[in-house]
Amino acid sequence: MATATDTTDTSPDERVPGETGMWFFVLFESLIFTSYFCVYLYFRTQDEGAFLEAQSALRLPLGIVDTIVLLTSSWAIARSVQEARAGRPAAARRLAFVTIGLGAAFSALKLVEWAHLIGDGHTFTSSDFMQHYFFLTGMHAVHLLIGLVALGILVHQLADPHRRSQETIETCATYWHTVDLYWVLIFAVLYIVR
Amino acid sequence: MSIVSNLRADPKRELWFAWYSTVAFYSLYSVVFFGLTRTQPPGKPWLEPEQTVEWFAGRQDGLLVGFALIFVLGGWSATAIALIAYSIRRMSVSRAFAYSYLVLYLIAAVPGFLFICVAMTVGAMRPERSPEAQQWLYDLGFLSFSGTMGVFLVGSLIWMTAILLDKNRVFPRWFGYLNLCNALTEVVIAPSWIFQRGVLAWDGVIAWWIDVAVFGTYTGVFIYLLREVIVRDDFGRGPLPDAPPGRPRRWHPLAKVVR
Repeated sequence: MATATDTTDTSPDERVPGETGMWFFVLFESLIFTSYFCVYLYFRTQDEGAFLEAQSALRLPLGIVDTIVLLTSSWAIARSVQEARAGRPAAARRLAFVTIGLGAAFSALKLVEWAHLIGDGHTFTSSDFMQHYFFLTGMHAVHLLIGLVALGILVHQLADPHRRSQETIETCATYWHTVDLYWVLIFAVLYIVR
Repeated sequence: MSIVSNLRADPKRELWFAWYSTVAFYSLYSVVFFGLTRTQPPGKPWLEPEQTVEWFAGRQDGLLVGFALIFVLGGWSATAIALIAYSIRRMSVSRAFAYSYLVLYLIAAVPGFLFICVAMTVGAMRPERSPEAQQWLYDLGFLSFSGTMGVFLVGSLIWMTAILLDKNRVFPRWFGYLNLCNALTEVVIAPSWIFQRGVLAWDGVIAWWIDVAVFGTYTGVFIYLLREVIVRDDFGRGPLPDAPPGRPRRWHPLAKVVR
């Protein structure tokens, strides 16, 4: 297993970061999410008025805060990868903890938002828009929870010089960036598109 | 060399039998569910009792003949599960993964596969039954088939974890991640218990059509990869070797046996 400080014949600019298998996951899962977005947009065109009315219940500022939190977490994990590449595992680990913290904060914000919506009578079954909203944000939350587990593995590996692997760090970071990308798309489609 | 002597000499004959049985099972499954019984794509969840009577009447012979075939030959599904469990046993991971997978699929096959066959056959057997009773069977059939897909979620996660931890290179790691994709689509089925209409109902665009596309891809890929595992299998321990160049890529009854 390569350590975080290992150098390889291939320069960082010439190789794909992380495992190739993870990029396959990103591609396949992105196709699935794209199909979800297409379905949402199609049904939106069928009853635009009802979708707009239900959409007005969303709190745009909260969505913006969600996005900022998650984008910041992506920045933190990118910095973590850089620190690991530079042979500074302690700093990489600290930044991975920051990423986990921001991911947890995002989850908490999402729970608050769901609680507000349900309190206002907007549930999974109350309208077609809310059906899509809770489905897409719920699926994203599942991906995020898996990402938190992956980051936990990363933190564990970074603490042990024998387990440390630059490839694992980059693979986890790739997954986390993907979760972030899905959120940006969900935010754009559900909150911004009017 | 005759077919019989070839069969006797080939140490992988049982594995190839299991693999061809897997292909035969999934082919039978597709023909019965999509062709003979036309229970896939599923019927509408919002049908009124009288409409479910018409639904049964419209495919009575197909339901009886198709599911009779499943009751006779459905046991073939065991070979696919056994082959997957065998491949997990070939990995460097604990045997607990293979046993968990085996037990889980044995249990899951009942609600996820056989309930629909029983319910629909009962409905087709006496179409003069009251519309309410026919609707009950209709709902039981489709809800048990679609709504219980979640039980397969853990199976995919077990296989994924085994592949990602394995050091014997039995499966490529990207297939481990494909298991995760499949597991995540099993989650999507759960809302079919809530919705009678829309994209998340049991016949919905998201809950059925997209999921079937993912599951179809996943099934095709794992059948192909299981074949690769058999070709590469050396009945040994440690990393599974690559298939040697020039070695037959698939078993054929008249092919020269390579030991």
